[in-house]
Amino acid sequence: MNINDQRICLWLVPIFGTLLSIAALTFLVPPSSPLMSAEEVARFYRENVAQVRASTVVFNVCGITFIPFYMVIVVQMQRMANPSRAFSYSYLSAAASGGTMFALADLGWLIAAFRPERSPQLTQLLNDMAWMAFITPVGFIMAQNLCLALGIYMDAGRKPIFPRWVAHFNVLTALLMAPGAFALMYTEGPLAWDGLLAFWLRTGTFAVYMAVMFFVVRAALDEQERSQRPSLDEPSLAVAA
Amino acid sequence: MSTLVSDVTAAPVEAVRNPKLDQWICWWSIPIFYNLFGLIFVYLGKLMPPPKPGLSQAEIIEFITSNKDSMQTAWVMLALTLGTASLSSGLIIEQMKRMKGVSHAFAYTYLTVLAVAALPGCLFCGIMFALAAFRPERDAELIVLLYDMGLLSFVGSLGCFVTQYMVFAFAIFLDQRRLFPRWLAYMSIWGLVTEFIAATIWTFRSGPYAWDGLISFYLGTVIFVLWEICLVVCLYKLIKHQPVEELHPAYGGAR
Repeated sequence: MNINDQRICLWLVPIFGTLLSIAALTFLVPPSSPLMSAEEVARFYRENVAQVRASTVVFNVCGITFIPFYMVIVVQMQRMANPSRAFSYSYLSAAASGGTMFALADLGWLIAAFRPERSPQLTQLLNDMAWMAFITPVGFIMAQNLCLALGIYMDAGRKPIFPRWVAHFNVLTALLMAPGAFALMYTEGPLAWDGLLAFWLRTGTFAVYMAVMFFVVRAALDEQERSQRPSLDEPSLAVAA
Repeated sequence: MSTLVSDVTAAPVEAVRNPKLDQWICWWSIPIFYNLFGLIFVYLGKLMPPPKPGLSQAEIIEFITSNKDSMQTAWVMLALTLGTASLSSGLIIEQMKRMKGVSHAFAYTYLTVLAVAALPGCLFCGIMFALAAFRPERDAELIVLLYDMGLLSFVGSLGCFVTQYMVFAFAIFLDQRRLFPRWLAYMSIWGLVTEFIAATIWTFRSGPYAWDGLISFYLGTVIFVLWEICLVVCLYKLIKHQPVEELHPAYGGAR
């Protein structure tokens, strides 16, 4: 079986990941404070309208390109020697739901920047909505991480698809991203949307996670390719699906 | 079902001990999620039973400010745990794919509509009320807008659930293996009917057809809860009686 399709999905991560990182570094870092008054938020949008638009348009265009990568993980999960495919379908469902949240977040920023002269109260509401929808729905990526981890733990194949540390790493990632949810209730401190835990730890963990998983999945694809190459010394049982 | 079997040998002994562990984990996510759901929406979030659509501006602001802390706790919990709903989908798809005489189109539809429904049918409402509770000092009109957006999306997002009930009922009727009992399909049709009836919330602001109404809210909710309990019981039986041969070879199966 040819795995070029999976390699394409894999390489979308560094390509679009770079664009998204640049957009994030210019707009989200440092994050704006939830303590800003409506007038201050409105002034921020008026004064930085071009930069906000540029970054959030990149989010809009490129943000969903991680879905193909998650689907490669689904394909790899379905190769695992798990009793059923329940975890892979759960993973797929969680990835799709997570994508809708990101799309909602980005709409908030874009609509706020579309008419920066709007009443400051409305701009602040859109800005609040964007930040909350961006930072807080961590339950979906956590479900993805935990399904993948459980799949790896239960992979009973002689040569597991992913090494065991990847499962531990996914559990750790889920735990480190969890504080993001608390940004729904704190306007200041480490759990606010610009705080040490809800912003820096959560988004930093996600960035490191994607980078590490790129190499992990690449290694799994290399292994898949090797295992499918006809070998002279052992009779191959590989059957293309 | 053809699969890659090159690296599969006999499973380690400890793996075979519970060859349905993955499905049991997904199964447990359903009672866990719905208990959390009750805690979040009934006890902490105060949205079930729903406050009236006809509240005055001052009453809506009072509702938000007096329940601020418990509501915010509710939405944090929702954001953390809504992913468990994905696990229940994973299990139902796995079981629907065992059906005979039905392609996987219904199962994939079920998966897709529930993945979409998470936003309009559940988390959007949480975010709207979180936005209101986050700054109750916002313009009063905005608090009312958020109140409407939250409750209308929560009670009034219908299409995903219409499709879910519909394909589930069709799948049960067409399944030659009769995995799920037929009465569950009839219950799904009742669920489907309640979703249609709930469309009235978009025009009525008081009475039995409003978003807190006897017919549009309570009838649908009671049927949904009964349906969900029956589904959980049916899934329990299905996993328990699923022959091991249907599982992956590494777990003693012949998939």
